[in-house]
Amino acid sequence: MPRLLIVEDDDRIRLSLRLALEDEGYAVRDVPTAEAALAEHKSSPADLVLVDLMLPGMDGFDCIRAIRRIGDVPIVVVSARDDTHDVVAALEAGADDYVVKPVAVKELSARLRALRRRASGSGEGAPKARRFGDIELRPEAGEVLLGEEQVHLTRTEFRLLCELADQSGRVLSRQQLLDRVWGYDVYGDERLVDVHIGRLRRKVERDPANPVHVLTVRGLGYKLAP
Amino acid sequence: MRPLGLRARVTSVFTLGALGLSMALAVATYELTRTSLLEERERSAVRAAYFDAALINQGLGGAEPDLAQVLRNLDTGEARRPLIRRDGTWFARTADDGLTSAVPPRLQRLVEVGTPAVQLVRVRAEPAVVVGVPLADGAGYFEVTALSELRRTLYVLATVLALVALVTTLAGAAVGWWASRLVLRPLADVASAAGSIASGDFTARVARDRDPDLDRLAVAFNRMVDEVSVRSETDRRFAADVSHELRSPLQTLSAATSVLDRRRGALDGRSAAAVALLAAEVARFESLVTDLLELAKSDQQAERRPVDVGALSRSIVEARQLPPGLLEVSGEPHELDIDPRRYERLLVNLIDNAAKHGGGVARIGLTVDGDALRLEVDDVGGGVPVEERDLIFHRFARGRAASARGGSEGAGLGLALVLQHVQAHRGTVHVTDRPGGGARFVVTLPGAA
Repeated sequence: MPRLLIVEDDDRIRLSLRLALEDEGYAVRDVPTAEAALAEHKSSPADLVLVDLMLPGMDGFDCIRAIRRIGDVPIVVVSARDDTHDVVAALEAGADDYVVKPVAVKELSARLRALRRRASGSGEGAPKARRFGDIELRPEAGEVLLGEEQVHLTRTEFRLLCELADQSGRVLSRQQLLDRVWGYDVYGDERLVDVHIGRLRRKVERDPANPVHVLTVRGLGYKLAP
Repeated sequence: MRPLGLRARVTSVFTLGALGLSMALAVATYELTRTSLLEERERSAVRAAYFDAALINQGLGGAEPDLAQVLRNLDTGEARRPLIRRDGTWFARTADDGLTSAVPPRLQRLVEVGTPAVQLVRVRAEPAVVVGVPLADGAGYFEVTALSELRRTLYVLATVLALVALVTTLAGAAVGWWASRLVLRPLADVASAAGSIASGDFTARVARDRDPDLDRLAVAFNRMVDEVSVRSETDRRFAADVSHELRSPLQTLSAATSVLDRRRGALDGRSAAAVALLAAEVARFESLVTDLLELAKSDQQAERRPVDVGALSRSIVEARQLPPGLLEVSGEPHELDIDPRRYERLLVNLIDNAAKHGGGVARIGLTVDGDALRLEVDDVGGGVPVEERDLIFHRFARGRAASARGGSEGAGLGLALVLQHVQAHRGTVHVTDRPGGGARFVVTLPGAA
């Protein structure tokens, strides 16, 4: 049973989500603060984390960053805020997905399943190590080397790189990447793609402002160049 | 025709003023100079003529004087030409009819009766002055002085004055242009600040001016922007608070209801029916609140980004569990600059509208043409009466078709949202008849401006 950690300060939302997601087959732990979430995650790591942005004390953005520093567990933001800056800031902080309240349990569950599939299935069907200029992708080991140095990617970033590498040189549109990497049938939120591409560039490009591998193809999408 | 701008008008006034002033000055200068030069030439011609006449009087002292010889003895230079008329006969140095005819008859008569006279004439189109002095024995002495040198001087003067007038006019135009720019600059600053504010940048302010008159405008404008931005910030925060306060309990309702709904089978009939009602109404309430909050953001512009509209439309069609064959994409496939969230919302709302009120979607046609797109959503229902085709896009529209469409199923916000998303792209939406029955909703989104 996948272990799910819910970080939500509103007791009623926390309890209702816990009940509903337990029905969906998750082993749910819930905490009201970011500090408690970090302690909980350190003592017994979760497989998935749901985070609210407005938390007392340490806020949701800091909570995401702190959890990211510990590991690459998939993080989904469940927030009442739907401003673009909040979405982008949460994704920049390291969240893998973002949903706005009220979200139907079915949809949330579908997104969590897609993230789980991605988290467990990274590298499948892409057995061979490949090289793009000074980037070396080793799907079987789940590793990426930039020159001699190992680069640490989150699973979403890694999956994004793998999808681009699978098409080596061909262009993938944002919607195609959304379908392939995030995996559920939605929803046009291509900010997810753009922010993750930005994060990926900061890790695998020597000069992220002038990328040479992860390229934007104006009007079409993204591609990976050697 | 568009009226001239303030700047053009100020510049023209300066130009015309400079032109009038410089012309008046030039004409006055020319006239004064001409008169005084002419008078001076006339005086010296008279002086010279008297002097020559005195010499001739001496020469005529002897008996039987040779008049031609006397004239030849005069030292008159090139410009002055002497003539003597005695007893109706002209005497000159050389035979020169043109010269004698230049002496006006009135002048001759005056001199004959013993009165000296002077007159301006033209000799072969050249200006000249004729001075007549009576001689001792009833004869008359005439001297014709050419003024061609004066004419050249005046010509040069006129040219110089015209040039000066032209330069002055141009300088006037330049000063007018500069002065109007100086005066209008604060207006231009205000206009550009107002433009930034209109596009959402409430940090734009007008720089203070050292000129106290202009500074008042800057201060007043900035104060107005402060007020507006405070009010808009208050509104924004209120909307955000309302949004949060509505979304949070709905989340709890939604999640808790799904827990109950899952166990409906285990409940007795009455409870199960109640739970089914609860679940349906919570879902409806959820979409109503989401739509209302969406509508409340009506002032926001489309966040355009490159979107693969074909792929996005396919995802939406699949997500709504419609057969993929319903979607027909034509035109060259590439990413368009549109707001993907708004596009998704409008397509989903049109699909839901067709499902709820139009008997289901019959076809979705997407045509990409350059930077623009055209989207058609056809249904198989009864169509929309002509008189209600505008009405159904109003919020909470009421009316026969609107109530049939809004009815108990939805709150009538779906099409209002479609209209809003379309307008955010400066596009259009209308409903028409589908060939073969049913309604056809047509959305056109132009490319980014």
